[in-house]
Amino acid sequence: MSDTHEVTLLLAEWQKGNQRALDDLTPLVYRELRQLAASYLRKERQGHTLQPTALVHEAYLRLVDQTNPSWQNRSHFFGVAARLMRQILVDHARRKQACKRAGLKVPLDEAVSFQHERTWDLVALDNGLTALDKIDPRKCKAVELRYFGGLSMEEIAQTLDVSTITVRRDLRMAEAWLHQEMQNE
Amino acid sequence: MTPERWAQIEGLFHRAAECAPEHRAAVLNEACGNDPELRREVEALLSCDGNAGDSVQAAVRSGLADVGFPLTGETISHYHILDGLGGGGMGLVYRAEDIRLGRRVALKFLPEDSAKDPAALGRFEREARSASALEHPNICPIYEFGEHEGQPFLVMQLLEGQTLRELISAADQGKPPLELSKLLDFAIQILDGLDAAHQKGIIHRDIKPANIFVTREGQAKILDFGLAKLGSVLSVEGDDSERNPRGDGGAVGIPRETVPLSTPDMFLSRTGVAMGTAGYMSPEQVRGQKLDARTDLFSFGLVLYEMATGQRAFAGETGPELQEAILSQMPSPARGVNPELPAKLEKIIGRALEKDREARYQSASEMRVDLEALQRESVPRHGAQWRVMAAAGVVSLIFATAVFWLVRRQPRSLAAMPEIKLRQLTSNSGENGVKSGSISPDGRYLAYIDRVGMHLKVIETGETRTIPQPDEIKSKSNWVDLNEIGPWFPDGARFLAGTHPLGLDVPLVTSQGSSIWIFSVLGEPPQKLRDEAQLYSISPDGSLISFGTNKGRLGDREIWVMRPDGEQARKVFDIDENGAIGWLTWSPDGQRVIYVKTTKGANEMFVAGDLKGGPLTTILPPSDLKRVPDFLWLPDGRMIYKLEEWETNFPTCNLWQIRLDARRGEFVGKPQRITNFAGVCANPQSVTSDSKRFVTYEWRPHSSVFLADLQSGGMRITTPTRFTLEETWNNPLAWTADSKAVLFLSNRTGVAALFKQALGQDTAEPLITLRKDEGLGSAFLSPEGSWVLYTVSPADSGPSVPDKLMRIPITGGSPQLVMTANIEEKPRCARSPATLCAIAERSADRKQLVFAAFDPVNGRGRELGKWNTDETADYPWDLSPDGTRIAILKNREGQIHILSLNGRVPQEITVKGWNILTSAVWTADGKGLFVSSYTPRGAVLLNMDLQGNARLLWEQPGGFDIYAVPSPDGRHVAMRGWYVEGNLWMMENF
Repeated sequence: MSDTHEVTLLLAEWQKGNQRALDDLTPLVYRELRQLAASYLRKERQGHTLQPTALVHEAYLRLVDQTNPSWQNRSHFFGVAARLMRQILVDHARRKQACKRAGLKVPLDEAVSFQHERTWDLVALDNGLTALDKIDPRKCKAVELRYFGGLSMEEIAQTLDVSTITVRRDLRMAEAWLHQEMQNE
Repeated sequence: MTPERWAQIEGLFHRAAECAPEHRAAVLNEACGNDPELRREVEALLSCDGNAGDSVQAAVRSGLADVGFPLTGETISHYHILDGLGGGGMGLVYRAEDIRLGRRVALKFLPEDSAKDPAALGRFEREARSASALEHPNICPIYEFGEHEGQPFLVMQLLEGQTLRELISAADQGKPPLELSKLLDFAIQILDGLDAAHQKGIIHRDIKPANIFVTREGQAKILDFGLAKLGSVLSVEGDDSERNPRGDGGAVGIPRETVPLSTPDMFLSRTGVAMGTAGYMSPEQVRGQKLDARTDLFSFGLVLYEMATGQRAFAGETGPELQEAILSQMPSPARGVNPELPAKLEKIIGRALEKDREARYQSASEMRVDLEALQRESVPRHGAQWRVMAAAGVVSLIFATAVFWLVRRQPRSLAAMPEIKLRQLTSNSGENGVKSGSISPDGRYLAYIDRVGMHLKVIETGETRTIPQPDEIKSKSNWVDLNEIGPWFPDGARFLAGTHPLGLDVPLVTSQGSSIWIFSVLGEPPQKLRDEAQLYSISPDGSLISFGTNKGRLGDREIWVMRPDGEQARKVFDIDENGAIGWLTWSPDGQRVIYVKTTKGANEMFVAGDLKGGPLTTILPPSDLKRVPDFLWLPDGRMIYKLEEWETNFPTCNLWQIRLDARRGEFVGKPQRITNFAGVCANPQSVTSDSKRFVTYEWRPHSSVFLADLQSGGMRITTPTRFTLEETWNNPLAWTADSKAVLFLSNRTGVAALFKQALGQDTAEPLITLRKDEGLGSAFLSPEGSWVLYTVSPADSGPSVPDKLMRIPITGGSPQLVMTANIEEKPRCARSPATLCAIAERSADRKQLVFAAFDPVNGRGRELGKWNTDETADYPWDLSPDGTRIAILKNREGQIHILSLNGRVPQEITVKGWNILTSAVWTADGKGLFVSSYTPRGAVLLNMDLQGNARLLWEQPGGFDIYAVPSPDGRHVAMRGWYVEGNLWMMENF
């Protein structure tokens, strides 16, 4: 089975509520992301700006069979995939955090690196999103689609079935709120 | 939080956010009223508004970076991993800090699979190590090999810049990725690196744009020596190589296209079969044949093609298609893609891409030579202006400075054809060299001039008397030098002499500032005949004197004649401002004249004619006669001329003869060499009326290292003593860091070598011996004194051949290349604790002197500053010992410019009392400069403060171009004393 086909099926399974599908999905997407991230960061050093959204977007296009009839509803597909991406990235960050807390592989020098702070950020963002999901699920979804799914305002509007003005307002509010939450973390 | 409250907060947030900032308070006041909690919540959100999206994005990005580079933030061995740099086909690359050495490095992880075959890994490691051990500036060094959780990694130099792949990809579509000068520069550097590796038997096997890195400073570095071999083993073993559908070749997605080997034999790698990247493989690589260095040249040919055109030479969607193309197709001509390419480059690429390796370039150096030749032709560099040299009879000392730094072969004695009798007429020492001389027509007298004065010698008896110089010449002795003895009148009683302006800034001997005088042996006082006139000749009947005047760009533009009393001067020939004419000589019968014509773009030629307005005939000089002025037309019709042979650094000049038929205006017969000199130069100067004897002027320069101690805070020196005793060239260049030994350049063994001689000793040990075709431009020590750095230039080659900056340990060892550059004057390092080393180069238009830092080990560094220059002048410079200032000598104006490297205002120093300077070197404490100048008596060394107050330290009679090399402890100074041993010889029976 090709990766593409496999990912598509697993996404469908996961969407149906099969949590074990996620366990199978994660390593597949993870590997792709890892390669892409390295590639994009390299380019960024040459002056191209890294767009994680574009990266994620590309990963989906690559991993998910676009012709599968069950994914005709493109917006639906992206909604699922953006959540998946969030899950994968945050899992990775949390695992790393956990290792550090457990005293594993902590750098010999006590200097807290720039990188550590950035890792905390993603976990903070995830916590914020989880909280936001409870207060205003649409806004959480909008953020996921925008930042983990790489969708444009118009695409988000289509997916959420609202106007683009609403999307903009949702994002503005959500971003300010998440930023505040991350700061307070 | 209730949905209602959330909606309330959001509503107010948008209202406040969307209104103008100055109205915000009012909106909040009105809406919140007695709900301070609401106000606090909204204000907190508003304070986050604006760039909140960025922080969300940054958080996501950091997660991605972590996923992409899982080791970020960890410490492996003694490397603290800072962040990811990217990934190649082989694995991820991180930026890390070496905790032990405190330096930044790059960690490159190899595929986990590679650990499966320790033997292959070992082979790779050995190869990579040996390439790295070359310490070549164009090979990226590998510091260490390590393993982390079963994954091997290597630690490399951290480079800033980009690979050629990225450079080519970044170019606009349809445009060549690199300008020609850069392309050639990079190509030559890469070949330099390949050459060094090949010479040690190391083949890269995977030369491609992604494996060539160009640093920000413009240094090309070859990456991944040996890696290809490792790759081959993996492929042979049948491991899956990740195929990346992106296929942009950028980084992780680099297609590691593998090609099935003809035999899946485990042992193939032992015979050298290696996998490269399919698009850049050589035909023999595709065929799985045993590889040699020439495979790299083919691959590099493909790289060069891509650099020149922006396109790959062979396009193919699949491995087999590419292989087919490599084996059987010719790439479309590079100039078809980029018509601006020189035809020669296309030819070079074509030769590198020969399918049959026997037809290819056989070595990297061979290919480099062709590229360097192209570079010379296509990258303009001026300054090596054609300089019209002195007329026959005048070898003005000022010209010797033009060859100041050339390394010369040890001169040997004059030797001529056996039947020719040679007789030495003067035997002056180097301190009092003869400047010029002339034999009387009857052969009785020799009039000559040396540093002491003008003399008349009776050749038969050797009896000599001094001819007093006129007061006018004596009074102008600070700027005028009587240095030319011209022809005698037929009466054998009077002769002419010429004065010329003193100064190094006079590139040509012309009429400008020159005067003609007449002297008598009968006791009549000397008389000046004319100013602004350059002396040429006297007609056979003694009735006319010819001279040049009206200096143009290339030299004098008019030839005049006058009577022996200076009256009735008239112009006889002239030329427009694009040319120069001069050195008029009468034919033996006095009926015709020839003169020399120089025009821009045309070689010099003789022009024959008469003074009555008759037609002119052009006579081309013998093709090998480079400077026509150096000839003598004998009364019997023969012409004697001098030919310089520059096959080595020291010019050997031989005399030739040929018959000239003045009436027909052509040479008769073949030129015949009449001398067999080696290592000396002799100019034919004057001849007796019976054509049986002529006088030549022979000169050889010597230099010596003189030592003195500085006293009174550097205001005085003790009497200098000779430190080197050999009668050869001995130029001091540097001191060791402990101020206990002097490094100097000498040709005492027949070849040029850098010697080290300790104080108090009289023998020296050679540190660096140069090849015969190399010249050493300078030598100096690295800031802490552990390296000797020196510049090497190919002798007698075009000026655009880059010089090499080399290094060897002060304790001796093998030379290593630091960098190549078109070095102007002498690079320098500051003294520890300062760390700066600087080099100067000219901008392409030569209008700027560009200073750049360099590291003795790592090569070129950042640009330090620029300085506007006159494109034709030279600018000696020196870096202050603390590395904060550069002193630039503007020798045309007699001024010194102090360029600050730490942002201070530049300073312009006019040296008081001295308008011509020949060198400027910082004192050891950086508070002043040693400058040199000269007087008609010789050369002087001065100590100058930064206000321009100069104090005389030393005057060396007969010397010129003294310069100082102060010891680092400020206690001693080594000086170069240089003088020309000039003497006159007579040749008979030629």
